[in-house]
Amino acid sequence: MTAGGVAHTGFREGEIEVDGRRLRYAEGGQGPALVHVPGGGGPHLTPAHDLLAGHFRVLVFEPPATEQWPDTDIASGLALATERLGVEAFDLLGTSSSAAAAVRLALLAPHRVRALVLEAPLAIDPARRDPELERRLSQLTPPTLVLFGTEDTVAPAEMGRVYRALIPGSHLVFVYAAAHAIAVDRPEAFAEVVVDFLERHEAFVISRARSVILP
Amino acid sequence: MKVSFFETARYLPPRPLPPEWPVAPGTYDAEAGAAAYRGMIARLQYVEELGFDWVSVSEHHYSPRILTPSPIVAAAFIAAHLKRITIALLGPIVPHSNPVRVAEELAMLDTLTQGRLIVGLLRGTANEAMTYDLNPQEARERTDEGMALILRAWTEPQPFGWQGRHFQYRTVSIWPRPLQQPHPPTFALGTSRESLEFAARHRLGCGVSYGPFEVMGRATQYYREQCARHGWRPAPEQIVYRANMLVAETDDDAHALLRAQSTQAPFALRAGVRDAVMSLDARNIAGQARAAVVSGALPTTFVGSPDTVVEQVRRCREMTGAGVLDLSLHPPGSSELEPLTRALELFGAKVLPRIREL
Repeated sequence: MTAGGVAHTGFREGEIEVDGRRLRYAEGGQGPALVHVPGGGGPHLTPAHDLLAGHFRVLVFEPPATEQWPDTDIASGLALATERLGVEAFDLLGTSSSAAAAVRLALLAPHRVRALVLEAPLAIDPARRDPELERRLSQLTPPTLVLFGTEDTVAPAEMGRVYRALIPGSHLVFVYAAAHAIAVDRPEAFAEVVVDFLERHEAFVISRARSVILP
Repeated sequence: MKVSFFETARYLPPRPLPPEWPVAPGTYDAEAGAAAYRGMIARLQYVEELGFDWVSVSEHHYSPRILTPSPIVAAAFIAAHLKRITIALLGPIVPHSNPVRVAEELAMLDTLTQGRLIVGLLRGTANEAMTYDLNPQEARERTDEGMALILRAWTEPQPFGWQGRHFQYRTVSIWPRPLQQPHPPTFALGTSRESLEFAARHRLGCGVSYGPFEVMGRATQYYREQCARHGWRPAPEQIVYRANMLVAETDDDAHALLRAQSTQAPFALRAGVRDAVMSLDARNIAGQARAAVVSGALPTTFVGSPDTVVEQVRRCREMTGAGVLDLSLHPPGSSELEPLTRALELFGAKVLPRIREL
Protein backbone atom coordinates (compact mmCIF):
# COMPACT_ATOMS: atom_id res chain seq x y z
CA MET A 1 0.00 0.00 0.00
CA THR A 2 1.25 3.48 -0.74
CA ALA A 3 0.36 6.99 0.24
CA GLY A 4 1.88 9.95 -1.56
CA GLY A 5 4.37 7.59 -3.20
CA VAL A 6 5.73 6.45 0.18
CA ALA A 7 5.81 2.68 0.67
CA HIS A 8 4.62 1.57 4.08
CA THR A 9 6.82 -1.47 4.31
CA GLY A 10 5.80 -2.15 7.88
CA PHE A 11 2.18 -2.72 6.84
CA ARG A 12 0.84 -5.85 5.21
CA GLU A 13 -2.53 -6.16 3.52
CA GLY A 14 -5.23 -8.64 4.41
CA GLU A 15 -8.82 -9.43 3.64
CA ILE A 16 -11.58 -10.85 5.76
CA GLU A 17 -15.15 -11.84 4.98
CA VAL A 18 -18.02 -10.65 7.15
CA ASP A 19 -21.74 -10.77 6.31
CA GLY A 20 -20.87 -11.90 2.81
CA ARG A 21 -18.70 -8.82 2.21
CA ARG A 22 -14.97 -8.85 1.70
CA LEU A 23 -13.39 -6.30 3.97
CA ARG A 24 -9.86 -5.24 3.09
CA TYR A 25 -7.48 -4.00 5.74
CA ALA A 26 -3.81 -3.19 6.36
CA GLU A 27 -2.00 -4.15 9.51
CA GLY A 28 1.30 -2.98 10.96
CA GLY A 29 3.15 -2.49 14.23
CA GLN A 30 3.00 -4.19 17.57
CA GLY A 31 1.35 -3.42 20.86
CA PRO A 32 -2.23 -2.80 21.94
CA ALA A 33 -4.65 -2.89 19.02
CA LEU A 34 -5.68 0.36 17.35
CA VAL A 35 -8.49 0.07 14.82
CA HIS A 36 -8.71 2.88 12.28
CA VAL A 37 -11.71 3.49 10.03
CA PRO A 38 -10.52 6.12 7.54
CA GLY A 39 -12.77 8.51 5.65
CA GLY A 40 -13.99 7.92 2.08
CA GLY A 41 -11.87 6.97 -0.91
CA GLY A 42 -9.85 3.78 -1.18
CA PRO A 43 -7.84 2.12 1.58
CA HIS A 44 -4.96 4.47 2.28
CA LEU A 45 -2.06 4.83 4.64
CA THR A 46 -0.39 8.05 5.71
CA PRO A 47 2.96 8.77 7.40
CA ALA A 48 0.92 9.04 10.60
CA HIS A 49 0.17 5.31 10.42
CA ASP A 50 3.89 4.57 10.53
CA LEU A 51 4.20 6.75 13.62
CA LEU A 52 1.21 5.05 15.28
CA ALA A 53 2.62 1.62 14.38
CA GLY A 54 5.59 2.44 16.61
CA HIS A 55 3.21 2.17 19.57
CA PHE A 56 0.27 0.03 18.48
CA ARG A 57 -0.77 -2.92 16.40
CA VAL A 58 -2.59 -0.74 13.85
CA LEU A 59 -5.45 -2.19 11.82
CA VAL A 60 -6.58 0.14 9.04
CA PHE A 61 -9.84 -0.98 7.48
CA GLU A 62 -11.02 -0.12 4.03
CA PRO A 63 -13.20 2.97 4.27
CA PRO A 64 -16.74 1.65 3.99
CA ALA A 65 -18.95 3.00 1.21
CA THR A 66 -21.60 4.30 3.56
CA GLU A 67 -24.32 4.71 0.93
CA GLN A 68 -24.32 0.92 0.37
CA TRP A 69 -23.70 -0.06 3.94
CA PRO A 70 -25.47 1.72 6.83
CA ASP A 71 -23.39 2.82 9.81
CA THR A 72 -25.01 0.19 12.04
CA ASP A 73 -23.96 -2.61 9.68
CA ILE A 74 -20.45 -1.21 9.32
CA ALA A 75 -20.19 -1.16 13.10
CA SER A 76 -21.35 -4.75 13.53
CA GLY A 77 -19.17 -5.81 10.59
CA LEU A 78 -16.10 -4.24 12.19
CA ALA A 79 -16.98 -5.79 15.56
CA LEU A 80 -17.07 -9.19 13.90
CA ALA A 81 -13.99 -8.64 11.74
CA THR A 82 -11.83 -7.55 14.67
CA GLU A 83 -13.02 -10.51 16.71
CA ARG A 84 -12.03 -12.90 13.93
CA LEU A 85 -8.62 -11.23 13.77
CA GLY A 86 -8.17 -12.11 17.42
CA VAL A 87 -8.60 -8.56 18.68
CA GLU A 88 -10.64 -8.40 21.87
CA ALA A 89 -10.17 -4.87 23.28
CA PHE A 90 -8.97 -2.05 21.02
CA ASP A 91 -8.60 1.68 20.65
CA LEU A 92 -10.74 3.12 17.89
CA LEU A 93 -9.97 5.95 15.48
CA GLY A 94 -12.72 7.19 13.17
CA THR A 95 -11.92 9.76 10.49
CA SER A 96 -14.16 12.21 8.64
CA SER A 97 -17.18 10.45 7.09
CA SER A 98 -16.37 7.26 9.05
CA ALA A 99 -16.63 8.96 12.43
CA ALA A 100 -20.33 8.10 12.62
CA ALA A 101 -19.59 4.39 12.11
CA ALA A 102 -16.87 4.57 14.81
CA VAL A 103 -19.41 6.11 17.19
CA ARG A 104 -21.84 3.26 16.38
CA LEU A 105 -19.13 0.70 17.06
CA ALA A 106 -18.20 2.33 20.38
CA LEU A 107 -21.87 2.16 21.41
CA LEU A 108 -22.28 -1.40 20.12
CA ALA A 109 -19.20 -2.75 21.91
CA PRO A 110 -18.45 -0.37 24.79
CA HIS A 111 -16.63 -3.13 26.70
CA ARG A 112 -14.23 -3.67 23.79
CA VAL A 113 -13.46 -0.05 22.85
CA ARG A 114 -10.85 1.23 25.31
CA ALA A 115 -10.81 4.78 23.95
CA LEU A 116 -12.17 6.64 20.94
CA VAL A 117 -10.55 9.27 18.72
CA LEU A 118 -12.63 11.22 16.20
CA GLU A 119 -10.45 12.91 13.56
CA ALA A 120 -12.18 15.80 11.72
CA PRO A 121 -15.53 14.05 12.23
CA LEU A 122 -18.42 14.62 9.85
CA ALA A 123 -20.93 12.81 12.09
CA ILE A 124 -22.92 15.98 12.79
CA ASP A 125 -24.17 17.83 9.74
CA PRO A 126 -24.38 21.47 10.91
CA ALA A 127 -27.02 22.18 8.26
CA ARG A 128 -29.20 19.26 9.30
CA ARG A 129 -28.83 18.52 13.01
CA ASP A 130 -30.02 15.05 13.99
CA PRO A 131 -31.29 14.76 17.58
CA GLU A 132 -31.06 10.97 17.43
CA LEU A 133 -27.38 11.07 16.50
CA GLU A 134 -26.69 13.68 19.19
CA ARG A 135 -28.41 11.49 21.75
CA ARG A 136 -26.09 8.66 20.70
CA LEU A 137 -23.03 10.91 21.10
CA SER A 138 -24.16 11.77 24.63
CA GLN A 139 -24.28 8.04 25.43
CA LEU A 140 -20.64 7.35 24.54
CA THR A 141 -18.75 5.88 27.47
CA PRO A 142 -15.12 5.38 26.31
CA PRO A 143 -12.68 8.25 26.89
CA THR A 144 -13.01 10.33 23.72
CA LEU A 145 -10.65 12.71 21.96
CA VAL A 146 -11.98 14.96 19.18
CA LEU A 147 -9.49 16.53 16.75
CA PHE A 148 -10.12 19.39 14.34
CA GLY A 149 -7.69 21.12 11.98
CA THR A 150 -7.70 24.90 12.24
CA GLU A 151 -7.77 25.20 8.41
CA ASP A 152 -10.47 22.59 7.79
CA THR A 153 -13.12 23.82 5.35
CA VAL A 154 -14.96 20.46 5.15
CA ALA A 155 -15.44 19.96 8.88
CA PRO A 156 -14.96 23.50 10.27
CA ALA A 157 -13.04 23.72 13.54
CA GLU A 158 -16.03 25.54 15.07
CA MET A 159 -17.86 22.17 15.10
CA GLY A 160 -15.38 20.94 17.71
CA ARG A 161 -17.22 22.71 20.50
CA VAL A 162 -20.45 20.84 19.60
CA TYR A 163 -18.77 17.43 20.03
CA ARG A 164 -16.99 18.61 23.18
CA ALA A 165 -20.34 19.65 24.67
CA LEU A 166 -22.23 16.52 23.60
CA ILE A 167 -19.77 13.72 24.41
CA PRO A 168 -19.42 13.29 28.17
CA GLY A 169 -15.88 13.87 29.45
CA SER A 170 -14.51 14.31 25.94
CA HIS A 171 -11.45 16.35 25.00
CA LEU A 172 -11.16 18.73 22.07
CA VAL A 173 -7.79 19.48 20.48
CA PHE A 174 -7.16 21.82 17.54
CA VAL A 175 -4.33 20.83 15.25
CA TYR A 176 -2.87 24.09 13.98
CA ALA A 177 -2.29 24.58 10.26
CA ALA A 178 -4.03 21.29 9.39
CA ALA A 179 -6.94 21.12 6.97
CA HIS A 180 -9.42 18.23 6.78
CA ALA A 181 -6.76 15.53 6.36
CA ILE A 182 -5.10 16.21 9.71
CA ALA A 183 -2.91 13.10 9.68
CA VAL A 184 -1.63 13.98 6.20
CA ASP A 185 -1.02 17.66 6.92
CA ARG A 186 0.61 17.32 10.35
CA PRO A 187 1.49 13.63 10.88
CA GLU A 188 3.80 14.18 13.85
CA ALA A 189 1.38 16.53 15.60
CA PHE A 190 -1.48 14.12 14.94
CA ALA A 191 0.36 11.00 16.12
CA GLU A 192 1.79 12.67 19.23
CA VAL A 193 -1.56 13.70 20.64
CA VAL A 194 -3.31 10.47 19.62
CA VAL A 195 -0.62 8.27 21.18
CA ASP A 196 -0.49 10.36 24.35
CA PHE A 197 -4.27 10.26 24.72
CA LEU A 198 -4.55 6.53 24.05
CA GLU A 199 -1.77 5.81 26.54
CA ARG A 200 -2.92 8.09 29.33
CA HIS A 201 -6.57 8.95 28.62
CA GLU A 202 -7.65 11.94 30.74
CA ALA A 203 -4.23 12.23 32.34
CA PHE A 204 -2.83 13.32 28.96
CA VAL A 205 -3.62 16.89 30.07
CA ILE A 206 -0.72 16.67 32.53
CA SER A 207 2.47 17.66 30.73
CA ARG A 208 5.41 15.29 30.66
CA ALA A 209 7.50 17.60 28.50
CA ARG A 210 10.89 18.28 30.05
CA SER A 211 12.12 21.85 30.19
CA VAL A 212 15.65 21.19 31.39
CA ILE A 213 17.94 22.64 28.72
CA LEU A 214 21.34 22.07 30.25
CA PRO A 215 21.50 19.78 33.28
CA MET B 1 -9.77 60.69 11.20
CA LYS B 2 -9.03 59.25 14.61
CA VAL B 3 -5.89 60.41 16.35
CA SER B 4 -3.76 58.37 18.69
CA PHE B 5 -0.92 59.55 20.91
CA PHE B 6 2.02 57.16 21.10
CA GLU B 7 3.14 57.23 24.74
CA THR B 8 6.68 56.11 25.53
CA ALA B 9 7.05 57.10 29.22
CA ARG B 10 9.78 59.64 28.59
CA TYR B 11 12.82 58.97 30.75
CA LEU B 12 15.07 61.93 31.49
CA PRO B 13 18.51 60.57 32.43
CA PRO B 14 20.40 62.61 35.03
CA ARG B 15 23.66 61.55 33.34
CA PRO B 16 24.44 60.72 29.70
CA LEU B 17 23.75 57.08 28.85
CA PRO B 18 25.87 54.65 26.85
CA PRO B 19 24.52 54.70 23.26
CA GLU B 20 24.40 50.93 22.89
CA TRP B 21 21.53 48.43 23.02
CA PRO B 22 21.11 46.80 25.48
CA VAL B 23 21.67 49.75 27.78
CA ALA B 24 23.49 48.68 30.95
CA PRO B 25 20.88 48.50 33.75
CA GLY B 26 23.45 49.88 36.21
CA THR B 27 23.10 53.23 34.44
CA TYR B 28 19.38 53.35 35.27
CA ASP B 29 18.30 55.98 37.80
CA ALA B 30 15.39 54.83 39.95
CA GLU B 31 14.16 58.37 40.69
CA ALA B 32 14.23 59.27 37.01
CA GLY B 33 12.23 56.10 36.31
CA ALA B 34 9.61 57.01 38.89
CA ALA B 35 9.44 60.53 37.44
CA ALA B 36 9.00 59.08 33.93
CA TYR B 37 5.86 57.21 34.96
CA ARG B 38 4.47 60.17 36.96
CA GLY B 39 5.10 62.35 33.93
CA MET B 40 3.42 59.80 31.70
CA ILE B 41 0.16 60.02 33.64
CA ALA B 42 0.24 63.85 33.84
CA ARG B 43 0.89 64.05 30.09
CA LEU B 44 -1.85 61.56 29.24
CA GLN B 45 -4.40 63.44 31.34
CA TYR B 46 -3.59 66.42 29.13
CA VAL B 47 -3.76 64.23 26.00
CA GLU B 48 -7.21 63.09 27.05
CA GLU B 49 -8.33 66.69 27.65
CA LEU B 50 -7.10 67.68 24.21
CA GLY B 51 -9.48 65.12 22.74
CA PHE B 52 -7.18 62.42 21.37
CA ASP B 53 -9.14 59.25 20.59
CA TRP B 54 -6.50 56.74 21.64
CA VAL B 55 -3.33 56.55 23.64
CA SER B 56 -1.04 53.80 22.38
CA VAL B 57 1.66 51.89 24.20
CA SER B 58 4.08 49.32 22.81
CA GLU B 59 6.51 46.65 23.92
CA HIS B 60 10.24 47.38 23.85
CA HIS B 61 13.00 46.07 26.01
CA TYR B 62 16.36 46.76 27.61
CA SER B 63 16.60 50.51 27.01
CA PRO B 64 14.95 53.73 28.23
CA ARG B 65 13.89 54.71 24.68
CA ILE B 66 10.39 53.36 25.24
CA LEU B 67 10.05 52.48 28.89
CA THR B 68 7.16 50.01 28.65
CA PRO B 69 8.63 46.49 28.50
CA SER B 70 5.20 45.28 29.61
CA PRO B 71 2.70 47.38 27.67
CA ILE B 72 -0.09 45.49 29.40
CA VAL B 73 1.02 46.74 32.82
CA ALA B 74 1.36 50.25 31.39
CA ALA B 75 -2.10 50.05 29.80
CA ALA B 76 -3.72 48.91 33.05
CA PHE B 77 -2.11 51.76 34.97
CA ILE B 78 -3.04 54.33 32.34
CA ALA B 79 -6.61 53.05 32.14
CA ALA B 80 -6.97 53.39 35.91
CA HIS B 81 -5.96 57.06 35.74
CA LEU B 82 -7.89 58.13 32.65
CA LYS B 83 -11.61 57.97 32.19
CA ARG B 84 -12.57 58.25 28.55
CA ILE B 85 -9.65 57.63 26.24
CA THR B 86 -9.28 54.31 24.40
CA ILE B 87 -6.15 52.38 25.29
CA ALA B 88 -4.41 50.96 22.22
CA LEU B 89 -1.97 48.21 23.00
CA LEU B 90 0.25 48.22 19.90
CA GLY B 91 1.24 45.74 20.94
CA PRO B 92 2.40 42.66 22.71
CA ILE B 93 5.29 41.06 20.79
CA VAL B 94 3.60 37.77 20.04
CA PRO B 95 6.51 35.45 19.13
CA HIS B 96 8.25 35.73 22.47
CA SER B 97 5.11 35.68 24.57
CA ASN B 98 2.93 32.90 25.89
CA PRO B 99 -0.12 33.48 23.64
CA VAL B 100 -2.58 32.09 26.17
CA ARG B 101 -1.24 34.46 28.81
CA VAL B 102 -1.56 37.35 26.34
CA ALA B 103 -5.16 36.33 25.59
CA GLU B 104 -5.95 36.20 29.31
CA GLU B 105 -4.33 39.53 30.14
CA LEU B 106 -5.95 41.33 27.21
CA ALA B 107 -9.38 39.91 28.07
CA MET B 108 -8.80 41.05 31.63
CA LEU B 109 -7.70 44.49 30.46
CA ASP B 110 -10.67 44.83 28.12
CA THR B 111 -12.97 44.05 31.03
CA LEU B 112 -11.13 46.24 33.56
CA THR B 113 -11.31 49.19 31.14
CA GLN B 114 -15.01 48.51 30.45
CA GLY B 115 -14.26 47.89 26.80
CA ARG B 116 -11.85 50.77 26.14
CA LEU B 117 -9.23 48.46 24.63
CA ILE B 118 -7.74 48.22 21.14
CA VAL B 119 -5.25 45.45 20.44
CA GLY B 120 -2.40 45.34 17.94
CA LEU B 121 -0.47 42.10 17.58
CA LEU B 122 2.94 42.02 15.96
CA ARG B 123 6.22 40.27 15.36
CA GLY B 124 8.49 42.94 16.79
CA THR B 125 11.53 44.76 15.45
CA ALA B 126 14.76 42.94 14.71
CA ASN B 127 16.57 43.81 17.94
CA GLU B 128 13.63 42.57 20.05
CA ALA B 129 14.44 39.01 18.96
CA MET B 130 17.46 39.18 21.28
CA THR B 131 15.16 39.83 24.21
CA TYR B 132 14.20 36.42 25.59
CA ASP B 133 16.37 34.65 22.97
CA LEU B 134 13.90 34.35 20.13
CA ASN B 135 15.30 32.80 16.96
CA PRO B 136 14.64 35.56 14.38
CA GLN B 137 14.09 32.97 11.68
CA GLU B 138 11.18 31.52 13.63
CA ALA B 139 9.65 34.88 14.54
CA ARG B 140 7.19 35.08 11.63
CA GLU B 141 5.84 31.56 12.09
CA ARG B 142 5.54 31.96 15.86
CA THR B 143 3.72 35.26 15.36
CA ASP B 144 1.14 33.78 12.98
CA GLU B 145 0.53 30.79 15.20
CA GLY B 146 0.43 32.87 18.38
CA MET B 147 -2.11 35.29 16.88
CA ALA B 148 -4.32 32.40 15.71
CA LEU B 149 -4.16 30.93 19.21
CA ILE B 150 -5.00 34.27 20.89
CA LEU B 151 -8.07 34.69 18.66
CA ARG B 152 -9.13 31.09 19.36
CA ALA B 153 -8.65 31.48 23.13
CA TRP B 154 -10.82 34.62 23.12
CA THR B 155 -13.68 33.07 21.19
CA GLU B 156 -13.81 29.33 21.90
CA PRO B 157 -16.65 28.50 24.32
CA GLN B 158 -15.33 25.04 25.23
CA PRO B 159 -12.00 24.10 26.84
CA PHE B 160 -9.59 23.01 24.11
CA GLY B 161 -6.08 21.77 23.46
CA TRP B 162 -3.71 23.30 20.89
CA GLN B 163 -1.39 21.09 18.89
CA GLY B 164 0.71 23.73 17.19
CA ARG B 165 4.10 23.90 15.57
CA HIS B 166 5.58 26.25 18.16
CA PHE B 167 3.01 26.15 20.93
CA GLN B 168 1.37 23.18 22.57
CA TYR B 169 -1.31 23.24 25.23
CA ARG B 170 -3.58 20.45 26.37
CA THR B 171 -5.96 22.78 28.24
CA VAL B 172 -6.98 26.33 27.30
CA SER B 173 -10.11 27.81 28.86
CA ILE B 174 -9.74 31.49 29.66
CA TRP B 175 -11.55 33.60 32.26
CA PRO B 176 -12.50 36.40 32.00
CA ARG B 177 -13.43 36.55 28.34
CA PRO B 178 -13.24 39.92 26.56
CA LEU B 179 -16.00 42.41 27.30
CA GLN B 180 -16.12 43.53 23.65
CA GLN B 181 -17.54 40.69 21.60
CA PRO B 182 -16.33 38.62 19.97
CA HIS B 183 -13.09 40.32 21.00
CA PRO B 184 -11.58 43.84 21.20
CA PRO B 185 -10.92 45.55 17.85
CA THR B 186 -7.69 43.86 16.82
CA PHE B 187 -5.00 44.81 14.32
CA ALA B 188 -2.21 42.75 12.80
CA LEU B 189 0.61 45.28 12.74
CA GLY B 190 3.17 45.22 9.95
CA THR B 191 3.65 45.71 6.24
CA SER B 192 4.66 42.18 5.32
CA ARG B 193 2.59 40.08 2.96
CA GLU B 194 2.20 37.50 5.74
CA SER B 195 0.92 40.01 8.27
CA LEU B 196 -1.50 41.66 5.82
CA GLU B 197 -2.84 38.30 4.66
CA PHE B 198 -3.34 37.18 8.24
CA ALA B 199 -5.27 40.39 8.97
CA ALA B 200 -7.47 39.91 5.91
CA ARG B 201 -8.16 36.25 6.60
CA HIS B 202 -9.11 36.84 10.23
CA ARG B 203 -11.00 40.09 9.56
CA LEU B 204 -8.57 42.16 11.61
CA GLY B 205 -7.40 45.71 11.06
CA CYS B 206 -3.89 46.40 9.82
CA GLY B 207 -1.26 48.86 10.98
CA VAL B 208 1.66 50.25 9.02
CA SER B 209 4.36 52.57 10.23
CA TYR B 210 6.99 55.18 9.44
CA GLY B 211 7.37 54.58 5.69
CA PRO B 212 6.48 57.10 2.95
CA PHE B 213 2.79 57.33 2.07
CA GLU B 214 3.33 55.81 -1.34
CA VAL B 215 5.12 52.75 0.03
CA MET B 216 2.71 52.27 2.94
CA GLY B 217 -0.11 52.79 0.46
CA ARG B 218 1.13 49.72 -1.42
CA ALA B 219 0.83 47.73 1.79
CA THR B 220 -2.66 48.99 2.62
CA GLN B 221 -3.75 48.46 -0.99
CA TYR B 222 -2.55 44.86 -0.78
CA TYR B 223 -4.46 44.50 2.50
CA ARG B 224 -7.68 45.79 0.91
CA GLU B 225 -7.24 43.41 -2.03
CA GLN B 226 -6.77 40.50 0.37
CA CYS B 227 -9.84 41.55 2.36
CA ALA B 228 -11.86 41.59 -0.86
CA ARG B 229 -10.58 38.09 -1.64
CA HIS B 230 -11.98 37.03 1.74
CA GLY B 231 -15.27 38.74 1.01
CA TRP B 232 -15.18 41.86 3.16
CA ARG B 233 -14.18 45.52 3.11
CA PRO B 234 -12.22 47.12 5.95
CA ALA B 235 -13.45 50.43 7.37
CA PRO B 236 -10.96 53.36 7.40
CA GLU B 237 -10.56 53.01 11.17
CA GLN B 238 -9.25 49.50 10.56
CA ILE B 239 -6.08 50.94 9.05
CA VAL B 240 -3.60 52.58 11.41
CA TYR B 241 -0.65 54.63 10.21
CA ARG B 242 2.02 55.26 12.84
CA ALA B 243 4.47 58.08 12.23
CA ASN B 244 6.70 60.75 13.69
CA MET B 245 5.50 64.34 13.41
CA LEU B 246 7.39 67.59 14.02
CA VAL B 247 5.00 70.50 14.16
CA ALA B 248 6.09 74.10 14.89
CA GLU B 249 4.62 77.58 14.39
CA THR B 250 6.27 77.86 10.97
CA ASP B 251 7.66 75.48 8.37
CA ASP B 252 11.13 76.92 8.94
CA ASP B 253 10.96 76.27 12.67
CA ALA B 254 9.83 72.70 12.08
CA HIS B 255 12.62 72.00 9.60
CA ALA B 256 15.13 73.55 12.01
CA LEU B 257 13.92 71.07 14.63
CA LEU B 258 14.32 68.23 12.16
CA ARG B 259 17.88 69.28 11.29
CA ALA B 260 18.78 69.43 14.96
CA GLN B 261 17.75 65.79 15.44
CA SER B 262 20.20 62.96 15.48
CA THR B 263 20.12 60.72 12.42
CA GLN B 264 21.14 57.77 14.57
CA ALA B 265 18.86 55.60 16.66
CA PRO B 266 19.46 56.51 20.31
CA PHE B 267 20.55 53.01 21.36
CA ALA B 268 21.96 51.00 18.47
CA LEU B 269 22.98 47.37 18.30
CA ARG B 270 26.70 46.56 18.04
CA ALA B 271 27.60 46.47 14.36
CA GLY B 272 28.41 42.76 14.32
CA VAL B 273 25.13 41.86 16.01
CA ARG B 274 23.17 44.23 13.79
CA ASP B 275 24.63 42.75 10.59
CA ALA B 276 24.07 39.19 11.80
CA VAL B 277 20.46 39.79 12.79
CA MET B 278 19.77 41.66 9.53
CA SER B 279 20.97 38.66 7.55
CA LEU B 280 18.54 36.37 9.40
CA ASP B 281 15.53 38.62 9.63
CA ALA B 282 13.84 38.84 6.23
CA ARG B 283 11.25 41.61 5.95
CA ASN B 284 9.00 42.72 3.14
CA ILE B 285 6.37 45.25 2.17
CA ALA B 286 3.40 43.43 0.64
CA GLY B 287 5.82 40.84 -0.68
CA GLN B 288 8.65 43.17 -1.80
CA ALA B 289 11.86 42.68 0.17
CA ARG B 290 13.06 45.54 2.32
CA ALA B 291 15.73 46.04 4.95
CA ALA B 292 14.79 46.51 8.57
CA VAL B 293 15.69 49.81 10.23
CA VAL B 294 18.16 48.83 12.90
CA SER B 295 20.58 51.69 13.43
CA GLY B 296 19.29 54.87 11.80
CA ALA B 297 16.62 57.04 13.39
CA LEU B 298 13.09 56.37 12.18
CA PRO B 299 11.99 58.88 9.52
CA THR B 300 9.77 61.85 10.34
CA THR B 301 6.81 61.78 8.00
CA PHE B 302 4.99 64.95 8.96
CA VAL B 303 7.05 68.16 9.24
CA GLY B 304 5.91 71.75 9.18
CA SER B 305 3.52 74.40 10.40
CA PRO B 306 -0.02 73.38 11.43
CA ASP B 307 -1.28 74.24 7.93
CA THR B 308 1.42 72.15 6.32
CA VAL B 309 0.96 69.06 8.49
CA VAL B 310 -2.82 69.19 8.06
CA GLU B 311 -2.21 69.06 4.31
CA GLN B 312 0.27 66.20 4.76
CA VAL B 313 -2.27 64.29 6.83
CA ARG B 314 -4.85 64.80 4.10
CA ARG B 315 -2.42 63.29 1.59
CA CYS B 316 -1.67 60.44 3.98
CA ARG B 317 -5.36 59.69 4.23
CA GLU B 318 -5.72 59.71 0.44
CA MET B 319 -2.67 57.59 -0.29
CA THR B 320 -2.85 55.01 2.51
CA GLY B 321 -6.56 55.00 3.33
CA ALA B 322 -5.63 55.09 7.02
CA GLY B 323 -8.43 56.26 9.31
CA VAL B 324 -6.25 56.32 12.42
CA LEU B 325 -3.00 58.23 12.89
CA ASP B 326 -0.77 57.06 15.72
CA LEU B 327 1.68 59.88 16.38
CA SER B 328 4.95 60.56 18.11
CA LEU B 329 5.20 64.35 18.39
CA HIS B 330 8.86 64.27 19.38
CA PRO B 331 11.31 61.39 18.81
CA PRO B 332 11.06 58.57 21.34
CA GLY B 333 14.31 58.22 23.22
CA SER B 334 15.03 61.93 23.28
CA SER B 335 16.21 63.04 26.70
CA GLU B 336 14.23 66.29 26.46
CA LEU B 337 10.66 66.73 27.63
CA GLU B 338 9.95 70.38 26.92
CA PRO B 339 9.78 70.10 23.07
CA LEU B 340 7.28 67.26 23.42
CA THR B 341 5.04 69.30 25.71
CA ARG B 342 5.25 72.30 23.37
CA ALA B 343 4.43 70.14 20.32
CA LEU B 344 1.48 68.62 22.15
CA GLU B 345 0.06 72.08 22.96
CA LEU B 346 0.42 73.27 19.39
CA PHE B 347 -0.93 70.05 17.91
CA GLY B 348 -3.90 70.06 20.27
CA ALA B 349 -4.77 73.68 19.48
CA LYS B 350 -4.11 73.94 15.75
CA VAL B 351 -3.91 70.48 14.16
CA LEU B 352 -6.10 68.01 16.01
CA PRO B 353 -9.42 69.87 15.54
CA ARG B 354 -8.77 70.15 11.80
CA ILE B 355 -7.75 66.56 11.05
CA ARG B 356 -10.68 65.04 12.92
CA GLU B 357 -12.87 65.98 9.96
CA LEU B 358 -10.60 64.49 7.26
